Amino acid sequence: MKDAARAGAEPDVAERVPDVDTLVRALDGADYLSDIGLATALFMAVRLPQPLLLEGEAGVGKTEAAKALAQVLDTPLIRLQCYEGIDAAEALYEWNYTRQLLAIRLAEAQGDRLDQTALFSQEFLMERPLLAALRHPGPRPAVLLIDELDRADDDFEAFTFELLAEATVTIPELGTVAATHPPVVVLTSNRTRDLHDALKRRCLYHWIDFPSPEQTARIIRRRVPDSAEPLAMDAAAAVGRLRSLDLEKPPGIAEAIDWVAALTLLGTTRLDEASAGATLGSVLKGRDDLALARAAGLPWVVG
Amino acid sequence: MSRARIAVQPASLAAGLASALHRAGLPVTPQRAGRFAASLVLAPPVRRERLYWQARITLLSDVEQLSVFDAVFEAVFADGLDPADTRGDPGGPPPIHAPARRPDDERPPVDRPPAGGAPGLARSAEGDASGTDRDAVLGVAGIEERLGDTAFDRLSAEELAELRGLIRRIALATPPRRTRRTTPTTRSRERLDVRRTLRRAHRTGGDPVRRIHRQRRERPRRLVLLCDVSGSMEPYSRVFLTLLQGAVAGARAEAFVFSTRLTRLTTALAVRDVDEALVRAAAAAPDWSGGTRLAESLRRFVTDHGRAGLARGAVVVILSDGWATDDPDDVAFQMVRLRRLAHRIVWVNPRKAAAGFAPTVGGMAAALPYCDAFVSGHSYAALADLAAAVRHYRRR
Repeated sequence: MKDAARAGAEPDVAERVPDVDTLVRALDGADYLSDIGLATALFMAVRLPQPLLLEGEAGVGKTEAAKALAQVLDTPLIRLQCYEGIDAAEALYEWNYTRQLLAIRLAEAQGDRLDQTALFSQEFLMERPLLAALRHPGPRPAVLLIDELDRADDDFEAFTFELLAEATVTIPELGTVAATHPPVVVLTSNRTRDLHDALKRRCLYHWIDFPSPEQTARIIRRRVPDSAEPLAMDAAAAVGRLRSLDLEKPPGIAEAIDWVAALTLLGTTRLDEASAGATLGSVLKGRDDLALARAAGLPWVVG
Repeated sequence: MSRARIAVQPASLAAGLASALHRAGLPVTPQRAGRFAASLVLAPPVRRERLYWQARITLLSDVEQLSVFDAVFEAVFADGLDPADTRGDPGGPPPIHAPARRPDDERPPVDRPPAGGAPGLARSAEGDASGTDRDAVLGVAGIEERLGDTAFDRLSAEELAELRGLIRRIALATPPRRTRRTTPTTRSRERLDVRRTLRRAHRTGGDPVRRIHRQRRERPRRLVLLCDVSGSMEPYSRVFLTLLQGAVAGARAEAFVFSTRLTRLTTALAVRDVDEALVRAAAAAPDWSGGTRLAESLRRFVTDHGRAGLARGAVVVILSDGWATDDPDDVAFQMVRLRRLAHRIVWVNPRKAAAGFAPTVGGMAAALPYCDAFVSGHSYAALADLAAAVRHYRRR
C-alpha cells in the first residue's frame, strides 16, 4: 500500500506538468525533443509518482531525458553514476573523519570539551547523491537520476530500492531522515544483466527507440544551430544507413551531432563523398567500423 | 474513434487489458494494473495512441515483452489503427527494434531431420529427483568407475540420468579479476587507507598507532556458456544443458543455447529443480534440434549481449561441434569480435575425442585460431579438462 500512501504529486508540480502535451512543449523548451511515448513515461513518473526505468541503446538520450525533466521542473538534477562495487558510503553518506579528528585536536589544544553530538552533527556529514535527493529542501522535488544501475552489484540495487520505496533513511547518529519532497526517480540500464524482479515491479518501464531520421535531423539542428538544414537531413539519413551495418559501435545521436558539428566547422552545407570521407572518424569510432563503412562505399553512405 | 469507450471505465478497462495480457503469459501484476488505472484517471487518453503508451509504460517491465504486448493490445482494441502503423511517424510511437528481435520469417536450414517427439528433454527415466540425488551421492565411486570414460552418446538413458546428478555438481570456477573495491590489509606494500587509519585512530586518542592499508579485492570473472543444441549435437546437448544448469545455479553463469537462433536461458535455468529447469529451457528455445547457424548466433550474442558488457573480461565457453551452414569466413569474423571482448574463449567439441579427428569442418577450423583452449568434454572424465580450462589463470 506504499503506492497509495504516495498517490498524487504535489500541487506545485501538478501545476507545472498538467498534461502530456504541456510536458512535450516544456521539454522542447528545454531543448529536448521527445516523442509522445517518452513524454507519457516522464509524465507518469512525475505525476503518479512512480520511479521510471529507462532502457535503450547507448546514445539514445536516456540521461538527457532526466536532465531535461529537471530543467522543466526547475529543480536540481542529482545524479548517481553506478559502477561495480559502489557501496552505501559512496551513494548515501559518510562521516568526514579527517575534519572530525581535526576538530578534536583543535578542541584539545584550546582546552575545550567536545561532546559526541557535536562530533556527529551536520557539519561533519558528507552527503552523497541519495541522501542529497532525500534531503532536498524544495520547493519542488529534485530529479534523482540513477544511471546505469545494471553496473552496480545486485545487493546495492536492493539497498537503493528499499530506500527509494520508503523515501526515508536512518543514520544511527542522527536519527531518521524522511524526505519532505520525495524525489522524482529516473533509473537507466544498459541491460548488461537482468535487473531484479522486485525492482522492476515497482517501476514504470520505457524502452527508448532510436528516433526516425526526421526526428534525428531536428535534434541535430537544435544542438548545432549553425548547421544547414539539408546537411542535418543528409547526416541523419547517413547515420541511419550506417546503423544498418554490422558495426561494433553503431553511431548514436551524440555521434550524429558531433558529425554535423565537424562538417559545419568545415563549412559544408550538403553531405558529399569528400566531406563524409574526411570526417567519418567523428561518427565511427574504431578501425574495423571504419573499414566496414568504407567497404560498403562512401557513395552508399552519402546516399 | 473509440474515445467514448475509453473514457468510460478506467478500472474495468485496466482490469480487462491486464488479464488479457496475463493470459498471454506476461507477468502483469494487479499492482501494475492499478497503476494503469491511476494513469487513466490522471490523463484520460483522447487517442488510441495515448492509451497505447500509457498501457505500455505502466504494464510492461521488459522490452522483450513488447511483441506479445502489441499483439494483445491490437486484439483487445481491434477497431481503429494498429499501433505499429504509426511507427516511423515522428509524432507517433517510434519504430520498435527490440534487441531480441528474431528473424522468424527465415526458414532455418536443418542439418539433420528432427528426431520426432519432444526435444530430447522430456523427463527421462529419472523419476523422483530427490531420490536420484541421494542415489547419486551413495553411488559416486561406482558410477564414475563404470561410466566416467564412456562417451555420452554411448550411454543409455538410465545411465545418463545417473550421471547427470554428478555433472550438475561440477563446479566451474573462473579465474579472479581485480575490482574497484578494496579490502583492508596490514600488508604495508599496499596503498595506505588514510580514512580507515584515521577512523581507527579514534580509539587511540587520535594517534594513528596502527596503519591500515587497502588492497584491491578480487572477484571471479563472469562465466558465459554458449551451447549448440542443433541436430548434430543431440546426443550431447541434454548432458551439456545439465552442465549449464549447474553453472547457472552454482557459479552464477550466463547461459545461452543456439541452433538457428540464440536464446538466453539464464532465467529459465535458475531454479533448483533440475527437471523443471530443463523443461523450462526446452520451452524457451523453440529451435531445438534444428540446423546450426553458428556465425549468426555468435553475431547475435556479441551484438545484443556481449558488447553491452556481458562478455567483457568474461570466460566464454562454446559447446559446439562446429558443424554449421554459415560461411567459415563469417564464423572467423564473429570470433574476432568475441575475442576482443572476452578474457578467454574455451571451445568444447565432443567430436574431438573420436579417432582420427581433425578440426577440418568449416566452422570449427575457422574458429579454432581464436580459442584459448580446445577440449572434448565428451565424457564425465573429459569434463574435468573443461573445468581446468575454465579455471586456467593467465596474468595479462
